[in-house]
Amino acid sequence: MIFITGPLFSGKKEYIRNALGLSEEAFFNRAVWDVQDLADAADLEALADALAQKEIVIATEIGGGVVPVDPVERSHREAAGRLACLLAERADTVVRVCCGLPQLLKGEWPC
Amino acid sequence: MFTLVIGGSASGKSVWAEEFVSKQPGKRIYLATMQPYGEEGFTRVKKHREQRSGKGFDTLERYTDLAHAPVPAGSSVLLEDLGNLAANELFSSEGGGTEAVLEGIEFLLRRCDNLTVVANELFSGGRAYADDTLRYLRELARIHRILAGKADLVVELVCGQPNLLKGVD
Repeated sequence: MIFITGPLFSGKKEYIRNALGLSEEAFFNRAVWDVQDLADAADLEALADALAQKEIVIATEIGGGVVPVDPVERSHREAAGRLACLLAERADTVVRVCCGLPQLLKGEWPC
Repeated sequence: MFTLVIGGSASGKSVWAEEFVSKQPGKRIYLATMQPYGEEGFTRVKKHREQRSGKGFDTLERYTDLAHAPVPAGSSVLLEDLGNLAANELFSSEGGGTEAVLEGIEFLLRRCDNLTVVANELFSGGRAYADDTLRYLRELARIHRILAGKADLVVELVCGQPNLLKGVD
C-alpha cells in the first residue's frame, strides 16, 4: 500500500495519479482519499487494516494549528493523527506532498 | 535563481531567507507586502527591519500589483511574504486576485537576477474555516503549487532547519 500525506490542497491526488500514470477511473478504483474524515476513535486499528487493503490511501494533515476547544473536534483530530500513523506503519511506501512536491518518507518511490 | 521558502509561523523562514539572500550578488531589495495595521503590525515591521539591518537590503513596500513595482533590473529580491500579498490581491479594493499575484511574480522573475519568495504553511490545521478563508487557502495553495513547479529551489523550514523539497542547495 502507498500512503500519501500532506497539507490541505497540496496536490496529493494529482501527484500520485501522475506518478503512476492513472486515468481518473483507475484512480477511483484503486485509491481512497480524505481518510482523515473517516477517523473514529472506536477501532482505529480495524479501520487502518481495512483501508490498507486499498492500493493507495491518501490523508490530509489536520494536526497543525491550535488544539480545538470543542471536545468532539479535538478527539476527531487526535484520531485522524493516530490513523495516519497506523496507515504509515502498514504502508510499504509513504510519500508526503507539499506544494505539489513529493518527499519520500518510507520505502521506495512509487512508479 | 528562483527560490521558494515555506514554513509555519515562527519557523525561522524569514531569518533563513534573509541569510540566504544576503549572500546573493547585486543590489538586494526587500520587497515588503504586509500592510501594517495597528500597533501589532508596526511592531512586526520593526522586528523584521531590525532583523534585516546590516544585511544590505533596500526596503521597498508594495502591497499589490507587483507587476509594476520599481525593482532595479538585475537585483536580488526577497519578497516577504506571499500570504500577505495574496490576501491583499484577493481581498483589498485595489487587488487583482490570484492572476495579479502570478503576474507580479512573473514580472519579478524577468526583471531581477535572483528572486526568493517567503510563503506560509497554513494548510495543516483542518478545513473548518469560513467560506472566504477557505477560498483564500485554496487560491494560496494553487499559487504555492505553481511557484514550486517553477522554482529552482524549494525549502521548507522546520524549527529553523531547512528541509530541501526541490533542487540542490
